[in-house]
Amino acid sequence: MPEARQFGQTGAASIDFSAGLRITVLALLVVGSIVLAPLLLDTYTTNILIRAFFVAIAAITVDIVWGYCGTLTFGQSAFFGIGVYALAIIFTEYGFGSWQALLGIATAIIAAATVAALTGWLSFYPGSTPLYASIVSLVVPIVLVQILYSGGTFTGSSSGLVGFESFDLEVENWFRLAGLSLAAVATIALIIMRSDTGRLLKALRDNDERCTYLGVDTSRYRIIVLVLTAIVASLAGFGYAAFGGVAAPENASFTFGTRLIIMVALGGRGTIVGAIVGALGIEVASAYLSGSLPYVWELIIGIALIAVILAFPDGLVGAARQLTRGMRPPGRSTTIMLRPIETAAIGGTESGTAIEVKGVGKHFGSLSVLDGVEFTAKRSELLSLVGPNGAGKTTLIRCLSDGRERSAGFVAIGGHAIERLSPNRVVQFGLGRKFQAASIFEALTVAECLRVARTYRARPSLIATSTMLDLPPAAISVVERSGLSERLGEEARHLSHGLKQALELAMVLSLEPEVLLLDEPTAGLTRAERQAFADILTSLTARDRLCILLVEHDLDFVREISSRIIVLHQGRIALDGSVNEVVNSALVREIYTGQQSTTSEAMP
Amino acid sequence: MLTIALDAITTAALLFIISSGLLIVFGVMKIINFAHAAFVTVGAYAALVGARLALPWVLILPLAFATGAACGALTETTIVRRLYRRPLDAILATWGLGTVIGQVITLIFGREVQFVQAPITGTAYFLGIDYSAYRIAMIAAAIIVAVVFTGLLNGTRLGLSTRAVIMNEMLAQGLGVDSARVRLVTFAIGSGLAALSGALITPLSSVDPNMGLPWLISAFMLVMVSGGSLLTLAVSSLVLGGLQVVVSTFVNPILGGLTIAICAAVVLRIRPEGFARA
Repeated sequence: MPEARQFGQTGAASIDFSAGLRITVLALLVVGSIVLAPLLLDTYTTNILIRAFFVAIAAITVDIVWGYCGTLTFGQSAFFGIGVYALAIIFTEYGFGSWQALLGIATAIIAAATVAALTGWLSFYPGSTPLYASIVSLVVPIVLVQILYSGGTFTGSSSGLVGFESFDLEVENWFRLAGLSLAAVATIALIIMRSDTGRLLKALRDNDERCTYLGVDTSRYRIIVLVLTAIVASLAGFGYAAFGGVAAPENASFTFGTRLIIMVALGGRGTIVGAIVGALGIEVASAYLSGSLPYVWELIIGIALIAVILAFPDGLVGAARQLTRGMRPPGRSTTIMLRPIETAAIGGTESGTAIEVKGVGKHFGSLSVLDGVEFTAKRSELLSLVGPNGAGKTTLIRCLSDGRERSAGFVAIGGHAIERLSPNRVVQFGLGRKFQAASIFEALTVAECLRVARTYRARPSLIATSTMLDLPPAAISVVERSGLSERLGEEARHLSHGLKQALELAMVLSLEPEVLLLDEPTAGLTRAERQAFADILTSLTARDRLCILLVEHDLDFVREISSRIIVLHQGRIALDGSVNEVVNSALVREIYTGQQSTTSEAMP
Repeated sequence: MLTIALDAITTAALLFIISSGLLIVFGVMKIINFAHAAFVTVGAYAALVGARLALPWVLILPLAFATGAACGALTETTIVRRLYRRPLDAILATWGLGTVIGQVITLIFGREVQFVQAPITGTAYFLGIDYSAYRIAMIAAAIIVAVVFTGLLNGTRLGLSTRAVIMNEMLAQGLGVDSARVRLVTFAIGSGLAALSGALITPLSSVDPNMGLPWLISAFMLVMVSGGSLLTLAVSSLVLGGLQVVVSTFVNPILGGLTIAICAAVVLRIRPEGFARA
């Protein structure tokens, strides 16, 4: 096992012990108060809180889909309603009993999962927009409610279903059941959202495109999250109807869906506590106020929503955290160990073709941005792509990394034709792409960004937060040489431009690519940073035998490190040759009229 | 058969008028205005007030437009302007605003359903059948909206600035276009159009504080499918609106009401650019 390197300032052992103690005490307090509370509360409040607990579970699912994964969903109410009606219809049709209850639960789960999978397929596909997903989520409850309306006596139409026999539990025990269910769901959600998988979900929210180019099938993850949260929401609805003994179309409605969003927005999106605070607060307040002030109460909620979104986008919990942040001692930094993994030995003499491009074209209507581009590149080659602005360099990079981009031609990466595959599949052929503007996960720490980049190689844990960060040696060397190793616990958004660029490079290298596409990686870097970059690239081709395709304007930089240069002009390859051939060619001077290319600092 | 065809065309005309305001806002600002339904309702109540004051319809319609435009301008400056960088939050905030407007209207006018007399009553004898004259007038209204709109966009300096902002906002700013003003005016016009459409549909439906909501989803879907151009909006209104009428007549009205939403969602899944560049 290679030696592990330790970074970070504080030892973790003692803190872990006290944190563990704190969590145990907190859990005991919560469970204790849920068990004892019904003895102290009056029946009315108890009843309201039982309903509120079930609604809070649904609100947590909204928070996960929206607050953590970034899809504003109006549709969770539909899944809640599916649970409500699964119970009501089965108990009405077949009477109450244990097999009926089991059938009801099974129906709720299967129906919710099926509808969620269909919704997910509609909402999430490579290139879908968050707005579109939002609109689809809006359609789901509307369609469901219309189906309920037209269901006749089977669904009870607009008046819903009442009068079916349900579980015979004391109100106190309903309270305990609902309260403990909420606590359990909240705990599981907290654990998963804090785990490495939770970090990945936040990465999806932050930068879906970057995730895709890290080989993560983002649509698949989003669909899985939707299906799982739909099941939880439907079970919450099941409990809600079992307690209330009523099923109404409002339980599935788009209005209830928005109400859930408002709860999460007011409480604090992206925090489980926020969702619970918002749900319980609004449910209880509605119960007491909506009777006496029916319209004014709605008005207050509307105004509160606008105010919170404008002034405290992170809700009440977020605002409270901001207030207390100043008083708390500086956050403890978890110790993170960097550990180099053993990469597959690279055959020293193997000289496979890394990139193969034949007749690639990209057309927008009659406009050709790329036309008949052909070249091949081998392992260990550092190929630079130069050309004036608008020559099609970035378009070519896009056509190499996303199978759906090109209008014509053939592209193979590492010997695999990329056909019409989406970027996350092309990444699996050994491609890594670094974007022109540093594309990282702003809200994650440096270490978390790097861990997300390993997703495709090492499946993230659902429960644990690893303290060991396994990276390929090439990525570690970038992290150490750039100084990122000193700042692993810092949020990526606080990094300087140069460090962001280095971080993105390290993330891409974590994929262990064989082909590296770099789009103007040195733009905006200082001279020293640029030199460091040049050293890194040279060693990547020499030691790790990477094939690097570099888009670059700085001809000095290109000349220093390239093994070959391709000149792209008006969408065609104008020249393809060694550094000397290209730099001294008359054609290049002609293309860059007036430029003394041998002495130029940077091209236009 | 001819009745169905006329139903289809007049429904498309109504959908087009209601969606056009949403379209222009979406085109320029890339946000979906969830308060659109509330502005439709505002227009309907403006028409109600106008009718009670016995104003002629030539005044009621401008009154509705002006009321909507004023509400829109106020919304843009107080809420929407701060949320350009957070389009999903803009959805939520405008939804909140919609609730607020709905409740204010309820507090002032009460919850009950009210009716407004159509300015054109009776039926017109058209190609061998009797058909509601007011619905036929809606076709003319849709054409007028389309023509005025196109004229504004292509014939005025503001229209030029607007098209510049739609295509490339950064560049437009760099060339000295006051994009904040373009956004303000656009939002006001979009809201005004919503209110105008609300006034126009009042004689066909009842007036109540939530009347705009059922139209909202169809309008969203049409705007998403149309991909941002007035011409494709007209095409999508005709195709999907026509389909809605056909499904409502021959299958069942409830399914008919869902036709636009479901068809549009599926069309967008298969062809993300919708009817644009078709």
